[in-house]
Amino acid sequence: MEGSESATGRWLGIAAMVLLLLVFIGPIVWFILLAIRPAETYFAMPPVLSFTPNWESIRYTFFDPGNNAPQLGNSLIVAIGAVALNLPFSFPAAYALSRYKIRGRKHIMLWYLGLLMAPPVAFLIPYSVLASMAGVKGTYFSMILISQTLTIPFSVWLMRSFIDEVPIEIEEAARIDGAGTTTILLKFILPMVMPGLIVTSMFAFVFSWNNAAFPLVLANRSTTTLPVGTLQYFGTAGVTWGFIASAAVAAMIPPMLIFLVLDRYVVRGLTFGSVKG
Amino acid sequence: MSAVSIAAPSRARRRLPDYTPWLLISPSILLLLALIAFPLLFALKNSFYFWNLQMGPAPMGFIGLDNYRMALSNGMFLGSLWTTLQMTLVGTAIEFCLGLAIALLLLRRLPGIKLTRVLLIMPTTIAPIVVGFLFRYMYDPNGGLIPWLLTSAGIPLPAAGLLGSPSTALWAVLFADIWQWTPFFAIVLYAALLAVPGEIVEAARVDGVSPWKQLLYVKLPLIRKTALIIVMLRFMQIFNTFDLVVVLTKGGPGTASRTLGYSLYQAGLVDFNIGLSSAMTWMMVIIVNAIIGLFVFFAFKDWD
Amino acid sequence: MSGFDFNLSRRGLLKSGVALAGTAAIGGGLAPRPARAADTTLRVLLAGDPFYYAIEGLKDQFQQETGIKLAIEAISLEALQARLTSSFISNEPDADVISVDQMWLGQYLESKWIHPLNELIKADSDVNVEDYIPEVLYSMNTWRGQVGTLPVAAYGQMVLYRKDFVEKAGISVPEDGSWSWEQYLAAIQKMNGQDFDGHKMSGTVLAGQQPAPVVHMYSQLAASMGTRWFKDFPAGTPWDFQPTINSPENLAALKIFSELYKNAPAESVGYNWFDAGMRFAKGDVGMFYWWTPYAYLCKKDGYMSGKDSVVADKLGMARLPKGPGEQVVSLGGHSLGITANTANRDAAWQFVKWATSAKTQKAMGLYDKYGHQFSDFARKSLYSDPELLKIYPHLTAQLGDLERGNGKIVRPPCPVYTTLEGIYGLNLNKVLTGQLTPEACLSETSTFFETILKGNFLIPYQQASYDDTLDATKALLKSLA
Repeated sequence: MEGSESATGRWLGIAAMVLLLLVFIGPIVWFILLAIRPAETYFAMPPVLSFTPNWESIRYTFFDPGNNAPQLGNSLIVAIGAVALNLPFSFPAAYALSRYKIRGRKHIMLWYLGLLMAPPVAFLIPYSVLASMAGVKGTYFSMILISQTLTIPFSVWLMRSFIDEVPIEIEEAARIDGAGTTTILLKFILPMVMPGLIVTSMFAFVFSWNNAAFPLVLANRSTTTLPVGTLQYFGTAGVTWGFIASAAVAAMIPPMLIFLVLDRYVVRGLTFGSVKG
Repeated sequence: MSAVSIAAPSRARRRLPDYTPWLLISPSILLLLALIAFPLLFALKNSFYFWNLQMGPAPMGFIGLDNYRMALSNGMFLGSLWTTLQMTLVGTAIEFCLGLAIALLLLRRLPGIKLTRVLLIMPTTIAPIVVGFLFRYMYDPNGGLIPWLLTSAGIPLPAAGLLGSPSTALWAVLFADIWQWTPFFAIVLYAALLAVPGEIVEAARVDGVSPWKQLLYVKLPLIRKTALIIVMLRFMQIFNTFDLVVVLTKGGPGTASRTLGYSLYQAGLVDFNIGLSSAMTWMMVIIVNAIIGLFVFFAFKDWD
Repeated sequence: MSGFDFNLSRRGLLKSGVALAGTAAIGGGLAPRPARAADTTLRVLLAGDPFYYAIEGLKDQFQQETGIKLAIEAISLEALQARLTSSFISNEPDADVISVDQMWLGQYLESKWIHPLNELIKADSDVNVEDYIPEVLYSMNTWRGQVGTLPVAAYGQMVLYRKDFVEKAGISVPEDGSWSWEQYLAAIQKMNGQDFDGHKMSGTVLAGQQPAPVVHMYSQLAASMGTRWFKDFPAGTPWDFQPTINSPENLAALKIFSELYKNAPAESVGYNWFDAGMRFAKGDVGMFYWWTPYAYLCKKDGYMSGKDSVVADKLGMARLPKGPGEQVVSLGGHSLGITANTANRDAAWQFVKWATSAKTQKAMGLYDKYGHQFSDFARKSLYSDPELLKIYPHLTAQLGDLERGNGKIVRPPCPVYTTLEGIYGLNLNKVLTGQLTPEACLSETSTFFETILKGNFLIPYQQASYDDTLDATKALLKSLA
C-alpha cells in the first residue's frame, strides 16, 4: 500500500487527516473556547471566532466564590486513593494469573472483564445504601472503595500483560536460592514491572477520575468531585455555559495530559493490556 | 510486537504448591464479590417488595412478582430494550467500520500523521458526562454549532431539530457516543494492524489479491481477537448508556431515545420507586449477562 | 516486544507520577473538612435557579447580621434528586437547610426528614407571617395543617409578548387577563408566519420536553379550562384518587395545546424550561405563557450573562387567559426546609427567616450583578413597593395571577406525583410529535394513572384524609401570627 501512492491519493489522505482533526478535535477546542468567551457570543449565529477573552467564568468557578476549586482537590484525592487501594489487590492477582496455569484462569479473567460491563445506573442506589450502612457515606473512602469495582479488574488485566513480559528465568533463579513467593513478588517482580505499574496506575487514575456516577450518590458537598461539579450549573431556569465549560475543561485536562505522556501505552491501556500497540 | 497476549507464558510449573495462586488472587476476588454481591442481593430482595420513596421511607410489604409485572406491563421495558439494542448494534458497527477506516489512514505515511494519531484519542479521554454537556451545547436549538453547520452546508434538518424529531433523536444521542469512541477503535485497530506481519501481506499482494480482499481475508482474520474484545467492550458500554440520554433528550421525543439505562434511571432516581427499579435492575443484569455469555461462548471459545 | 527498552521514558514517567502526587498533596490541603456539628457554618442545599445567585451575592449580609457562616451549594435538578434520594434512604441529609419541592413536601414531613415550622413561626415575633401570599403558602408550603417550608421564590404563570410585534399585527392584549384561551390561540394564529424585524415570526413557543417541562406548561392551560386530576384531592374527605383527566374539558384544552404547537417552532417539542424562554428572548416569537421568572430572564440574552436581549425593552406582560370557569393559576417555585437531624436548628431557622423576609427578598430584587434577576417575591407587600415596581413594572399583574393561584389543583401533590408526571409528560409529548391523538393520549394516560394509583394502594384510599383548602391555610396562618 505504502510507497506507491499517487499524488492525488496523497492529497486525499492529507485532506482526510485534516477533516479527522476538525471533527474530533474541533469540538474540544470549541468547548475550551466556551470557557473564555464573552457570554453574548455563546450562541452567536454565525459563530464568532475572534473575541476578547473573558476570564469571568474561570474566576467564578475556581476563585470567587470558586465552588469548583475544592472539587479539583477532591477528584485528585479520590482518584489517587482509588489507585493506591487497588494496587495491593490487583498486583498479586495479576502475578498469579500471569504465572500460574490454574484451572478456570480464562473464566476468572473474563469475570473481571464482565465487571467492567455492569450497568452503573443499576448500582447507584444500592451503593448509597451500602455506604450509609457502613457509616462511610459522603467520605472519600466510600468513593475510593466503590471505585475498586472498576480499577481492580482493569489493573489486573493491564498489569498481567506487563508481568507476562518479565523473563521467568530471574524468578526461577531466585526460587532455587530459596526465595518465597512474597520475596519474589516484592524484590524481583515489582522492580521489573515498575514502569508497567506506573502506566497501569495512571490509566486507573483516569478511569476513576472520569467516573461521575458513583460520586453523584456517594459524595457530599465537601467531598464531591469535579465532573459532578459541572452539574450544578445546569439549572431549570438556565445554563451558565461558561461556568460549565470552565469546570469541565479543568476536568478534561489531567486525563488528556496522562494520555499524552503515555502515548505509546495508550492502546495497551485502553484494551486492558490485551493489545500491546 | 505482538497483537494479543491473552496467551500467557505457558511455563507454569507443577511443582509449586497449588494454593499459592489462589492466595494471591483471592483478596481481589473477595473484595469485588463483596462489592458486587451487596447491590445484587439488595436489588433482588427489594424487587419483591413494595418500596416507593414517594409513598414512604421504608419498604411497605412483600408483593411477589408485582414489580416485574409492572415493569413488563406498560411496554416501557421491552420498548426501551428494543431501542437500546438498535442503538447498540448500529453504534458498535459504525464505530468499528469508521475506526477501521481511520486506522487504515493512520497507517499511511503522511506528513503530520503521528501528531494526528496522538491527538485523535483525545475525545476518548473525556468524562462521558462532560461529553454530554459538550454535545448539549453544540446541539442547542437556539444557536448551537451543529445545526448551524448542517444548515449552512445545505443539509435539511428535521423541522423539530435533531434532538426533537422522533426519527433522529436516538441517532443524535448515538452520534455523541460515536464521536467519543470512534478514535478508540481507530487507535486500537491501528496498533493491531501495525502488528500484522509484513510477509503475509506481501505474499498476498504478490499473489495479486486486491487491497480490499487483503484487508478482508488476510488482515482482519489476523486481528480478530483484538477486534472481538473491543467490540464486546463497546457493545456493553453502549448498551448501558444513560448519562448522555439524561443530558441530551430525557428519552424523548415520545419514547424515541428512551434507553434501558435511562428507564432504570427514571424509575430509581426520578420516580424513587426502589422496588420497581430493583426489578428492572435484575432484568437488566440478566440480559447483560446473557449477552456477555453469548460473546464468551461464540467469540472467546478458543482462548486459553 | 515492546516493554523493556524504555529506561529513558521511564524516568519521565516517574517524574510525572511525582508531579501528580505533588498536586494531590496541594489538592488535599484545599479540600475542606466536612463541617462538624459544633461549627456555626450552615450548610444550605439549593436548586440553581436565579434566586440562588441573589442569595449567594447577599450572603455576607447574613453573616454580618447573625455571625453564622453560610456554605451554599446549588445543584441541578437531576443532581438534587439523586442526592436527596440517597440522603434520605439513609436518613442522612448532608445539609441543614434544603430546597424542598412542593410535590415532595408531604413525603418529607411524614417521613420526618424535615422539621415542621409551626412552632418556630409561632414563637418568633418577627416572621410577619401575614405578609405571605396565602395562595403561595397553601400551594407550596403546607401539608395536613402543618407549615413544612417557607417560600423563597414564588412563581406564577403569565403571558409574555413582544409588544412592537403584537402592535404591528393589530392585536390588543388585555393586561388584566380578560380574554379566553380561544382568543389567545386566535391571536397567536394571526401572528404566526408574519415577517417582522427580519424574522419569520412564530406565533408562540412551547416547552415540549418530557416529563416535567411539558406538564408544567400544559397543566396550566388544562386547569384553567377546568381540568382536575382526581375526583377528590386535595380538598374533600375522604380523598378519592380516581383519575378525572379523561374529561371533555381536558380534551378541549389538549386540542388548544396541540394547535398552539402548530404555531410554534417545531423544535419546541424538545424544549425544556429555559429553551422555551431563550427562544422567546431571541425575538422571533410573538407571545407565550410561562413561569414568571421569564419576565426577567427573557430580558437577558443568556442565563446570568448580564447582557440585554433583543426583546429587553419590548417585553409585555399580561395575566393569563381564562377558561369557562373560575381562573386557576399554576404556582411553583422554591421553598426552604430545615432538615430534621440538623445540629444547627436555630441557625437554620435564622437563615430561613432571613432568606424569606421582606427585607432580604427586596434586596434580592435589587441585586443586579447580572442585571436585575429576581422578582418572584413571596411577600405581598413587595408587589406594591415603588422602588421594585420601577424595575419590574409587571408586579401588579403578577400579584393578580398569584392570587388566583392554586398549585394543588394544577399539579396536585399526591404521593406518586412524579411517576404520574412521567407518564403524562411522555404522552403529551407524543401528542405534539403526532404519535398520539389527543383522545388516545387522555384515555391511555388515564388508564396508566389508574394502574399506578392502584399499584401504590392509593385507589381505594384507606389512610386518613385531610380536607386541604385555602381557607384552612388562611386559618392556620392566623393562628400562627
